[in-house]
Amino acid sequence: MLEQKSNSAPIGSAAYRNFAMTVSAVVIGLIVSLAAIAFVEVVIWLNNVLLVSPRTRVQFDGAGWLLAAATILVPTIGGLIVGGLLRMSPERRPLGPLDVIKSVQLALPPPTPKAGILSTLASLISLGFGASVGQYGPLVYLGSMAGSVLDRLSLRISNFSSIAMACGVAAAISTAFNAPIAGLVFAHEVILRHYSMQAFAPTTVAAATGYIVANVMFEREALFLVDFAGVQHGHEFALFALLGLLASFIAVAFMRLILRSATLAAKMPIGPMYRPAFAGLAVGLTALWLPDVMGVGNETLRFATIEGAFFTWELALLVTAKIALTAICIGFGFAGGVFSPALLIGILFGALCWMLVDATGLVVTSSVVPYAICGMMAVTSAVIGAPLTTILIVFELTRNYDLTIAAMVAVVFSNLVAYRVFGRSLFDVQLARRGIDLSHGRDRAWLSTQRVSDILDGNFVQCAPHCAVGNVSAQLHDTKWHEAFVLDATGVLVGVLDVLGYEGDLDDPVSAWMRPPALQFDDSTTLAEAMRALEGFAGDVIPIVETKTKRLLGVVTQATVIKSYLNAVRRLRREENATA
Amino acid sequence: MQRLKYLLMILLTGPAASAAWADETLTIVSWGGVYEQAQRQAIFDPFSKATGITIENVTYSGGVDAVRNGAAQGDWDVIDMIEDQAITACDAGLLSQISFDQVAVAHQSIPVEDDFLLGAFRNCSIAQNVYSTVFAYNDRAFLGEKPESIADFFDLEKFPGTRALLRDPDVILEWALMAEGVPIDQVYDLLSTERGMRLAFRRLETLRGSIIWWETVDTPAEMLNDERAVMASGYNGRFFSAAQDDGMPITIVWDGQVISYETWSILRSSQKQELARQFVRFATAPEQLAALAELIPYGPTRTSAISRVGLHETTGVPMRDHLPNAPQYVDRALYGDSLWYARTKDFRRRRFEAWLREG
Repeated sequence: MLEQKSNSAPIGSAAYRNFAMTVSAVVIGLIVSLAAIAFVEVVIWLNNVLLVSPRTRVQFDGAGWLLAAATILVPTIGGLIVGGLLRMSPERRPLGPLDVIKSVQLALPPPTPKAGILSTLASLISLGFGASVGQYGPLVYLGSMAGSVLDRLSLRISNFSSIAMACGVAAAISTAFNAPIAGLVFAHEVILRHYSMQAFAPTTVAAATGYIVANVMFEREALFLVDFAGVQHGHEFALFALLGLLASFIAVAFMRLILRSATLAAKMPIGPMYRPAFAGLAVGLTALWLPDVMGVGNETLRFATIEGAFFTWELALLVTAKIALTAICIGFGFAGGVFSPALLIGILFGALCWMLVDATGLVVTSSVVPYAICGMMAVTSAVIGAPLTTILIVFELTRNYDLTIAAMVAVVFSNLVAYRVFGRSLFDVQLARRGIDLSHGRDRAWLSTQRVSDILDGNFVQCAPHCAVGNVSAQLHDTKWHEAFVLDATGVLVGVLDVLGYEGDLDDPVSAWMRPPALQFDDSTTLAEAMRALEGFAGDVIPIVETKTKRLLGVVTQATVIKSYLNAVRRLRREENATA
Repeated sequence: MQRLKYLLMILLTGPAASAAWADETLTIVSWGGVYEQAQRQAIFDPFSKATGITIENVTYSGGVDAVRNGAAQGDWDVIDMIEDQAITACDAGLLSQISFDQVAVAHQSIPVEDDFLLGAFRNCSIAQNVYSTVFAYNDRAFLGEKPESIADFFDLEKFPGTRALLRDPDVILEWALMAEGVPIDQVYDLLSTERGMRLAFRRLETLRGSIIWWETVDTPAEMLNDERAVMASGYNGRFFSAAQDDGMPITIVWDGQVISYETWSILRSSQKQELARQFVRFATAPEQLAALAELIPYGPTRTSAISRVGLHETTGVPMRDHLPNAPQYVDRALYGDSLWYARTKDFRRRRFEAWLREG
């Protein structure tokens, strides 16, 4: 298990590897950006056909009940379809960035293509039918999927699998946001979590390819255009920092609610297949009187930067409703991300804070724009755990230096607090709940997934409690050990006999001289736990027993544990310092 | 092969038709004024000359109701319509179906559907030219800084004075949102929401008391000329000819122009369907489209025609620079969504009328 996914030994010269990696990056970039554009277009088309987008809704303004019926039925039916699709998936749940992180960090094979395709379809339906979820999570997964498909070619380049996935992710972000630098940084900050030359070069190529396809070939519009003349007053930076702090609490509430909603869903007397439909119904009913909550909400996003577009109470209501509905949608199994909802919640919250400050009349401010943008980025960066990426996204989307500096201040404070109160990101906390804890770095996470039972040695001396010590000693003489393991009739470990310096009668039964093992592992003990336990351990071998039955499975020497540990650490360092 | 067939058909049926249809008359409904004069010179007269068919003109001021009345009388054959009104009239069953194969090919190597601009063909209409709604100002009204953007149109502090506007929700609400800083690409998306409407009317409200309404298309230029207004909305061709031909002190501001299609349609009630089709085929040929654009700056809807546009016949002005779809103006142009216009007309009119009543 330690070499779970042994990359074939690298072949050829560094030049070959560089060349093959670059070509792969271009191919991945092309495939992913085309797929991402197609994905976004299908969502827009569905939104138009299904009366989710305001631009088509208004055309049926006079049609009476039709609009109301569509508002309730479309997300509900979408939920049913999503439930059905995910039932067919081997994973039984939608896939997202956290699956990519897991696969890359632990060098595990990603979920099957079938699960990936079904998840992507489910997210198309979720978004197309107006569920309150985001599109970037599914796009990130789509990108990584393209990368892992290329991995099947066995190009025999070390770390190819994780770099290919990172390339796909970078290309997806680059295309979807028109932000190649952010794509590149996201792939490193969130997915790879290290900066090696070997990975940096191809992800840059993939991100640039995505950008070229989106801009040069398809002339996609920028996602967010906003005019801003600059921050007028120095004291406003203090307000941005304060906004960042407040936004972190919104982000934490949002993430906690998502996790709680999933727990709640599991307790509800509704089958998993029907849960998304339930969430869809909630969205539809809310949208009857608050249409802004449906879908990705690009219009609402735009309004937030226009002064006077909302009343204060409207903003407060929308922030609350969007948080609640997104938590329900994701918790109840709609397929989609948290990024777009976080953007929307954040921008509305930022605008709300500005309105409250403005209403006091105590402080002069530039305009609502920097506050809305600061709020947007502060909430988002805390949710996805990527401060650098979000700062760059602001820069690339608005091409406005002043706004970027303002957002930077808010983002940093938000991340600081959210990290303390909640964790690095929603993904990391979700992974930690599945036993993969990345909060102490990649090394710990990797070591925590490796089990000592995978490196056990079955070659040891065992005896029954009534055996004579002399016999056991003779057996041990022919081996490298000086400890024998005493098992009862059912194979359960009852003690250890150390013959080194034994001065008793050789005919005595083992049971008279055995002692309980100084240290014992079971089949759930991880390498990280083993390393900690070894501190202060002076023995030779450590028995490994079955957790439930306590039957002896084998033994492991201190040297083997340390060797495995060093191998694991060396593997990670090699990956981080690789150049080709 | 298909294209060759059409070419042969035109060549063969052209002269034969002219003999068969001599002494016939065709009633064509258009907008009057300099526009119709230009059409007469570029399209109607050459058509009569080629076919012997006499063209009778009826002038109207647009609107689907006018089409309905015309259809009831039964003597209207072909009509020049704004695209969204043509869509509404088509949905109401007032117009005949029309398709690509009723149009003359420009060149064998270019399929007709690629030669026309995107979306030029609707069920009952073919887009013939591109016009835009712009605003213009009286040169003498502002001696220092001149209006440059759509935001300036709403800025009474910087540019005081009366604004002349069409008494209609078209364009003015779009402009109001643009003045709020909404990017042109998102204007329709935002105007489709209750909130967007609210914002647009809030902006329009700032002009209340400084608006003079116009109803016929030649009026805005006159209103600027006789100083009833300092700025006016209107069609680019009318402003152009007022400035160029009549020497009025008028300057067009292209920022935020709303580009729309002007179409040819055939009335379903017409007894001369075949003759009408013959006319539409003639009127949408690249030669005629280019000839019209040389008289009045309404951009041709066919790529093959745009390259033919040269100098203005009398003034010698290079006309390609004055077309709404000239490359230097399209960055800040909103392409009108005719389908959206057609389907939201009632909704917008209701809101607009309510706003008018408030004041």
